[in-house]
Amino acid sequence: MSAEQLLSSVPESDTVIVADLEAGIGTLTRLPEASVDSTLVIVEPTPRSIDVGQRAVLVATERKQGHITIVANKVATHEDEERIRTAFGEHPVVTVPLDPVVVAADRQGASPVDVDPNALAISAIGGLVPVLIETTDT
Amino acid sequence: MIRIAFAGKGGAGKSSISGSFARLLSRRGGPVLAVDSDPLPGMAYSLGIAVDDHPTPDNVVVEGPEGGPKWVLRPGLDAAGFIDTYASTGPDDVRYLQFGNTWGHFQTLQRGQHAWSQVVREMDPAAWNVVGDLPGGTRQAMFGWAKYADVLAVVTEPTPKSLHVARRLLNITKAEWAPSQVVVVANRVDEDEDIERISNALDRPVIGSVPNDPAVVEADKLALSPLDHRPGPFVEAIEQLVGVVESTYDMDDQRATKGKP
Repeated sequence: MSAEQLLSSVPESDTVIVADLEAGIGTLTRLPEASVDSTLVIVEPTPRSIDVGQRAVLVATERKQGHITIVANKVATHEDEERIRTAFGEHPVVTVPLDPVVVAADRQGASPVDVDPNALAISAIGGLVPVLIETTDT
Repeated sequence: MIRIAFAGKGGAGKSSISGSFARLLSRRGGPVLAVDSDPLPGMAYSLGIAVDDHPTPDNVVVEGPEGGPKWVLRPGLDAAGFIDTYASTGPDDVRYLQFGNTWGHFQTLQRGQHAWSQVVREMDPAAWNVVGDLPGGTRQAMFGWAKYADVLAVVTEPTPKSLHVARRLLNITKAEWAPSQVVVVANRVDEDEDIERISNALDRPVIGSVPNDPAVVEADKLALSPLDHRPGPFVEAIEQLVGVVESTYDMDDQRATKGKP
């Protein structure tokens, strides 16, 4: 079963579903309209990543995939953050800093939450929760 | 002539490596054609070429014969003519064949993408060194998009996630049409143990070891090719990789024996 088949066939319930789509916009283009309540577009502060993120935002908007939030990932400087905010204008941006804990967890094959639940990146990801509640709890 | 394609997990560094590889190979004198089958921009940045979403006009193709491909190159236009007319020319004289980048409307690029596939399939193997960049993940590689290559280089980082995808890609060797050589390139390597870890996990020759180099991150942020921004350990490693591939994986003889285009 493909990711798009799975997402479009899950019955509505109180269960929160978090889906990690493949890189790029392939799954987004195949996902039936309005399959999700919220789309998080993960962007690094590089022109290439921003370019792909902008393409993802367009597809998610056209296909009515809920509220769109930009997650600015691997942000090392104020300029990094500003570049992403400028590129995505009206969409809310949640910033996740470049964090050696995440790099170390990746190398270990562990969840960053298990390596250090107080890591900067983990706290920042926690900041997504109120944004999602605010934009999807209707 | 070299015919190599790079595949790997998204973010493993395929585009940075393949674009730099193409330019450094071209500096050694042979004609190089970079072929990018990713419908999202990547290789253009690392080559130092402007991103072009729709690089070929729709009239390069006409409707194909019944039972055949939907679109074929128009009469009078062959692969060589297509490359001559529509491949961009970048730094170090690399010619670049763009698949066309999508904003979600695949159908608007369908004609150009059919043309791209036919050209890659039919181009004269004696005319070009070919360096390809596949999208992240396993989908295209497993559907045979790297058939044009003699060598499939699986790019992996020394992380379990990246190695997991690399291991899946190595299954390609079971396919009848698989490139005759499937090798591994280790990227973002910090220490010797990283290479050992990759080598042990994949049980394949690691033909290149590319170090973590902050200059590549900077180049990415500046939308520059790694060759055009503080070339250092990364570029040296790709130079070495080009040397290894040239000396070991020039498959002209075998291709001639097997008659493989």
